[in-house]
Amino acid sequence: MRRVVRWPRMNPSTPPAPLARPLRTGASVLGLLALATVGAYGLDHQVSLTSQAMLYVLVVVIAAYSLPRLASILCALGAVTAFNFFFVPPRWNFAVDNQEHLIALVAMLLVALVISHLANGLRRETELARSSEARARQLQELATTLAGATDAATARGLGQQALDAAFTGPNHLSLLQADGALDGDTLPDVADGLRCCMREKAMLGPGTGRWPGLNAWYLPLGDARQTFGAVCIENIQAADEAGREHAQALCALLTQTLGRVHLAAAMLASEAERQRQQVQSTFLAAISHDLRTPLAAVVGAASALQTQHNKLSTAEQERLLGSIVSEASYLSTVTENTLQLVQLANTSQPLQRDWEAMEEIVGSVLARVRARDPGRRIQSRVPEGLPLIRADAVLLAQLVGNLLDNALKYSSGAIDLVVSADNERLQVSVKDRGEAIPPERQQAIFEPYARNDQTGQRGAGLGLALCRAIAQAHGGSLTVRRRNGGGNNFTFSMPVDPQQPVGDAPCA
Amino acid sequence: MRLKILVVEDDREIRAMMQSSLSVEGFDVQTAVSLSEARALLQHASPDVIVLDLGLPDGDGVELVQQVRQQQTLPIIIVSARHQEAQKIRSLDAGADDYLVKPFSVGELLARIRVALRHRGTALAAAITEHTLDDLHVDLATRLVQRDGDTVHLTPTEFNLLARLVRSAGRVVTHRQLLTDVWGPEYTEHTHYLRLYMGQLRAKIERNPAEPRHLLTETGVGYRLAIV
Repeated sequence: MRRVVRWPRMNPSTPPAPLARPLRTGASVLGLLALATVGAYGLDHQVSLTSQAMLYVLVVVIAAYSLPRLASILCALGAVTAFNFFFVPPRWNFAVDNQEHLIALVAMLLVALVISHLANGLRRETELARSSEARARQLQELATTLAGATDAATARGLGQQALDAAFTGPNHLSLLQADGALDGDTLPDVADGLRCCMREKAMLGPGTGRWPGLNAWYLPLGDARQTFGAVCIENIQAADEAGREHAQALCALLTQTLGRVHLAAAMLASEAERQRQQVQSTFLAAISHDLRTPLAAVVGAASALQTQHNKLSTAEQERLLGSIVSEASYLSTVTENTLQLVQLANTSQPLQRDWEAMEEIVGSVLARVRARDPGRRIQSRVPEGLPLIRADAVLLAQLVGNLLDNALKYSSGAIDLVVSADNERLQVSVKDRGEAIPPERQQAIFEPYARNDQTGQRGAGLGLALCRAIAQAHGGSLTVRRRNGGGNNFTFSMPVDPQQPVGDAPCA
Repeated sequence: MRLKILVVEDDREIRAMMQSSLSVEGFDVQTAVSLSEARALLQHASPDVIVLDLGLPDGDGVELVQQVRQQQTLPIIIVSARHQEAQKIRSLDAGADDYLVKPFSVGELLARIRVALRHRGTALAAAITEHTLDDLHVDLATRLVQRDGDTVHLTPTEFNLLARLVRSAGRVVTHRQLLTDVWGPEYTEHTHYLRLYMGQLRAKIERNPAEPRHLLTETGVGYRLAIV
């Protein structure tokens, strides 16, 4: 979970409830004055008038330091009035009989005003210092969290959070989409401002010298070269220069991060494109070899029949025709396998899975493969009551068919096709007595276009690569083992869905 | 009388190949290169069989199948490329009689046409009610199924499934058609019923259920009862 950082609001003009504050301030002034009066009255006749005045000066200083300017002035005036009324002879009225006392009163008022002014200035500076410290801290924390952002959406979320923490808002942050539209749902006039600041590549709004009539700040997220989006901060004050600078600093940080994310994505895309092109070119080089060779045989045989058929014996003509048909069907297989492999590798769409019976798939493959197996070298063993599997039957048929075709091509003895299953996995094994694949090549034969080519015979091209891709697409595996007594055992294994479908259905 | 075949195919070489090999076999061959040309031809000519390529420049072959089926029962054989799997099945469900996948041999084409003609008019005339091949004999009227002369006992669903295939013997019947006709239209997605009942049926009828002689699987499409 992302850490939510809450900073204190840094806008100095935090508005409290409208009436409560003046009432509380008034009460504080009256309370302070009452305290001074009671204190001075208690000390009446024991101390001099000057000391009593000092008590009033004390509360005026306290008020000047802790209350707003107007309240502290009122407090000073009230102190002078109360002191005059209660203590300055003649007492219990506002008259002043001694010029000396009058001077003291005026001095007291002036002292109160000066202190109030100084205290207010001090308080403002403290507040400013505190808020700029909080802002600096926010910038630092934002920089830290943004450093971990790896995509634009995360950066956007962090940016929005920071804006909401720093300004009362509402704040809008919109990023430019690939199609040039702004994301998020902003009101039309806000979107207009966002677009305008992106176009001018500069901050707009009160205090910026651009569009001072606006009631919000608009800041572009971008630099001279690129623009990633824009920010709108509402409810701001033209005079809040520090706030404006802070907004600009936040946006600069966000721009930096967005630029970094953008660059990283572009680099990743170009690397992927480079790899894709490399794979494609090796693929093309390899497939063109596998297509050219049979094509040459077809063209050779066909042109011989065309130009020399009068000179060729019937047997010779038959042989050439047979070669055309078999080479062409080999071409067709290579094409099928290539297309299927490319499709499996490139599409993100899931398989067309349905409930299938391996017995049926094996049966349909055998029906096709027997044409190339006149001696019935393939012996199948399929037990009864196999579990159904969730699979793409066309692909599994292609897998089993490719394995059988390979076994027929690379071996001469008997070939065993064995299906077995338990509650968890279903396995199909194709076992031949051909030349065993050396252990160091047992991985390579599943790579596209690596083939066990010592025999000089043409392979099924990427037949085995396709078989493994099909097995993996079904969450299964395809492996090869050396058999005891010679030969290879290719085993396809895939998981069985423990939830088997129920066969009960009404009869129609 | 020579039987008339309409070949709808846009590729020149394949069209010429089909025309010459079908003419050699004694058929009267007409060709069209697009759906619109085929429609125009169908208004005047009444062929006995249509061989329809699915990848035509001016539209989906399924439309023509539906259109023809509204008026006529003549056999339609679909020719599709491997990537037109879905379109092929839709055409079969819409009433096409059979299919061929490119590349196909002339032998396959002729075999399909022979099967299609065998069924010509059966939708109107008497339907096939008896089937015999090698060791298997089925008589739908008496609900009798025999293997090597011995009666095979089938459950009602197994029998209905077999009967549906017998009525279309030699032709492919899609999963959807079988599920609709045997279980009912609301069961078209319950492919596992087919797998289970077909397995039971094979166990009772076939000598080697893993390499069936009679109940052939058309992977990804449906089933076919062998007639040769």
